[in-house]
Amino acid sequence: MIVPFAHVLTFAAALFVMGLACVLARRNLIMILIGVEVMLNAVGVVLVGASALWRQVDGQVFVIFLMAMTSAEVSISLAMVVYLRRRKGTINADAFDGMKG
Amino acid sequence: MNPKLLFLIPLLPLLCGAANALCGMRLPRRLAVILAVGGVAAATVLTLVAWPLAAGKGTAAVLYTWLASGPLEVPVAIRFDALSAPMTLMVTFVSTLIHLYATGYMEREEDYARFFALLNLFVFAMLTIVLADNLLLLFLGWEGVGFCSYGLIGFWYREEKNAIAGRKAFIVTRVGDVFFGIALLWLFKLAGTLSVTAINARADAIPAGDLTVLVLLLLAGACGKSAQLPLMTWLPDAMAGPTPVSALIHAATMVTAGVYLLCRLFPLVSLSPAGMGAIASVGALTALYAATSALAQREIKRVLAYSTMSQIGYMFLAVGAGSVTGAMFHLFTHAFFKALLFMGAGCLIHLAGDENDIFKMGGMAKKHRPVFLLFVAGGLCLAGVPLTGGFFSKDLILLAAFEGGHPLYPLLWAVGLVTALLTALYTFRLLYLVFAGEPRGSGEAHRLPASMVWSLYPLAALGLAGGLLNLPPMVGGGEALQELLGPLAGREASASHAVEWILAGLSTLAVATGWLIARSRYRTFSGKPRGALQSFLLAGWQADRLADLLLVRPFGAIARFLWQGVDLSVIDGLLESLARGCRGGGERLRILTTGRLSSYLTAFAWGLVVILGWFLIAIIK
Amino acid sequence: MSTVLFYILACTALVATGLAITRRNPVHAVIYLVNALFALALIFYLLGAPLVAAWEVIIYAGAIMVLFLFIIMMLELAPAEEPRGPGWLSWGPVLLLSAVLLGAIVLLMAFDPAAAEGVPSWYASPRTFGYVLFKEYALAVEIVSFQLLFAAVGAFYVGRAETPKRAAEAKR
Repeated sequence: MIVPFAHVLTFAAALFVMGLACVLARRNLIMILIGVEVMLNAVGVVLVGASALWRQVDGQVFVIFLMAMTSAEVSISLAMVVYLRRRKGTINADAFDGMKG
Repeated sequence: MNPKLLFLIPLLPLLCGAANALCGMRLPRRLAVILAVGGVAAATVLTLVAWPLAAGKGTAAVLYTWLASGPLEVPVAIRFDALSAPMTLMVTFVSTLIHLYATGYMEREEDYARFFALLNLFVFAMLTIVLADNLLLLFLGWEGVGFCSYGLIGFWYREEKNAIAGRKAFIVTRVGDVFFGIALLWLFKLAGTLSVTAINARADAIPAGDLTVLVLLLLAGACGKSAQLPLMTWLPDAMAGPTPVSALIHAATMVTAGVYLLCRLFPLVSLSPAGMGAIASVGALTALYAATSALAQREIKRVLAYSTMSQIGYMFLAVGAGSVTGAMFHLFTHAFFKALLFMGAGCLIHLAGDENDIFKMGGMAKKHRPVFLLFVAGGLCLAGVPLTGGFFSKDLILLAAFEGGHPLYPLLWAVGLVTALLTALYTFRLLYLVFAGEPRGSGEAHRLPASMVWSLYPLAALGLAGGLLNLPPMVGGGEALQELLGPLAGREASASHAVEWILAGLSTLAVATGWLIARSRYRTFSGKPRGALQSFLLAGWQADRLADLLLVRPFGAIARFLWQGVDLSVIDGLLESLARGCRGGGERLRILTTGRLSSYLTAFAWGLVVILGWFLIAIIK
Repeated sequence: MSTVLFYILACTALVATGLAITRRNPVHAVIYLVNALFALALIFYLLGAPLVAAWEVIIYAGAIMVLFLFIIMMLELAPAEEPRGPGWLSWGPVLLLSAVLLGAIVLLMAFDPAAAEGVPSWYASPRTFGYVLFKEYALAVEIVSFQLLFAAVGAFYVGRAETPKRAAEAKR
């Protein structure tokens, strides 16, 4: 036994929370996306840890799908960032407040 | 003759009035006028034709059932008997004459359709009161005359004071009507029916205490319509209406409706001695009050208005003393000579160039001799000069009062006698001021249409000869009216001839005294300075001020408080603060919608925390 | 031995991530994150997923983070894109939230009996992995490949070059 599962989960939770903090607190669109990446990675940790706990590969399979999906998502979101930068001239998330009021 | 044809008597004026109301302005003037006069004239003829039906117990006729709900059944029923038949005849005949007069008086009026429509409608309502055999139907007519009176007093509504006078009349009579309504409801509860005949028959089944209160309530209702104390303030102001209106409504018909009501319900009313005493006292006191006020009036029509109030007081005194004959006799003679006087006043105002202040008239005798003579005829009847109709009717009332069982009645008789003196005084004052001496005014005489003059002749004849209606046996008469009324006549005056002669002599003395005083003061008149007493009497003993202080101002204060203090502050304030609160809340909540991504995500995350917390709590349990 | 290694790697990852999320310069943030991802990959290997560890490095650190760098370079962001504005004002509530969230999760875990178990040391061979992937999750593989295609098309469309005509249309 390597480590109690609780510790793995705690580690993953800490990572997730940090990613969430990054998303909530940063204004730069790029940084927000990075926060999302961190969160996804935390999920990956949980999945791998769980698959190790139950000695089944399915968790790892899910991680690979996660990675594939993440890459697709990142490519589109970065394309959108480029577009938004072209539109508004800035990538400060606070500048996109058309839904205000 | 089919009894159902009796319904045509009130319906013909109604139809003509409705026709005038709906399309009168589109008809040529002559046609509208003919329609109006024709309606009333036809009703008169019909009454004469139907006269035999009134013999014996009279004729009842039912048209259809108006209301039927549980124990209440109200048919549209009329009763043409010894009391209602002469009254109907008087109302229709005098109305016809006044309509003819009005065609001349209103010849320059643009709004003739409305006038004649209202006038006809009024006659319909009055006839409903007279003929109704059911108290609810009577009440319908009662309200109808009130409304038509309002409409006609305020006929020239574009001048505010006329509209105010109309409104005042309506409101004050309404107060009386409330009491009448209460009496109606109570009567229904006690007697189980609203039929006049049935109530009169069952009158002795009503307990004494209830009966007295009922009579007092009916008296209050009658006071409102007949302008007796304390609901009399509207009548002098009602002179703002056109003169035909004053003649018809406020001399001959509407104001006598109160007297008629008491006479109609006399079997009920007479069973309560306290009630009868109250009726008589109210009548006598009003007569005195009005006579004193008439002494100081300056406008010719106001003198006549107070005079009407006073004479109706006499009629109430007669009812209170138990003599329906006396009341009805005076009602008829009064109708004739008062209508004559009002119409004559209209002619005089025309002749003086639309001037109605008698201090500014004078020497009118030379201007138009026939009017002078006719007016003097009416004045003599009013004063009760011996051998005129007015003399005999007033005398009968004073006799009945003198003979009343209770010691109150002779006291009231004395009041009546003093009032007779005052009546003569103000009448002759009026006559001297208007006709004698040199002209004091400067008005240009308007042309006097012929119809205004020759409609006065029949009234003068009836007024002077009115005594023949009910000549007392002491001069050899047959007391025709008494015979006619038969069992409805109330208590018969049964004094000895000697007492009658003495009383007649006393009243003649009163009249003569009044005439002499007036002659000495007013025959040559130069414009009198007004003293304090004069102003007090001029304003009708400041009754208007009293009503204003006691009723109108507190009412206004309450209304203002309810408006500002309750409606604006509390109710509106509540609603407005509610709305303001909502808007404020909304403005504050709006701060949450920043449009920024991070705030929305933060909210997301906090929601997640809440859910996790809930799971936690579930697990801990 | 693995236990100690795990803890060291975990700390590395946490510190690196912490640094990454607090950098002003996005490039620095990406580099730190790459560091964290390496540590993560090693943790995966420790937990018996060598294939996933490899992919973490190749795809995540190697493709995705590089893509980030490309875009950052392309946008020519000034070093301090964010104004030196609210520091604690924006971080304060977030830190509070994070602490609460973390506390909640940890508490939840404390009540879970399964969590106390120890993770065994095992090893998932690529052979087993591939077998399961293509036998049981074949459909998912196909769908993911579609998704990658969509993503490529979408990215191409969203990021296409701006001509004056397209700019005018977008303004309307």
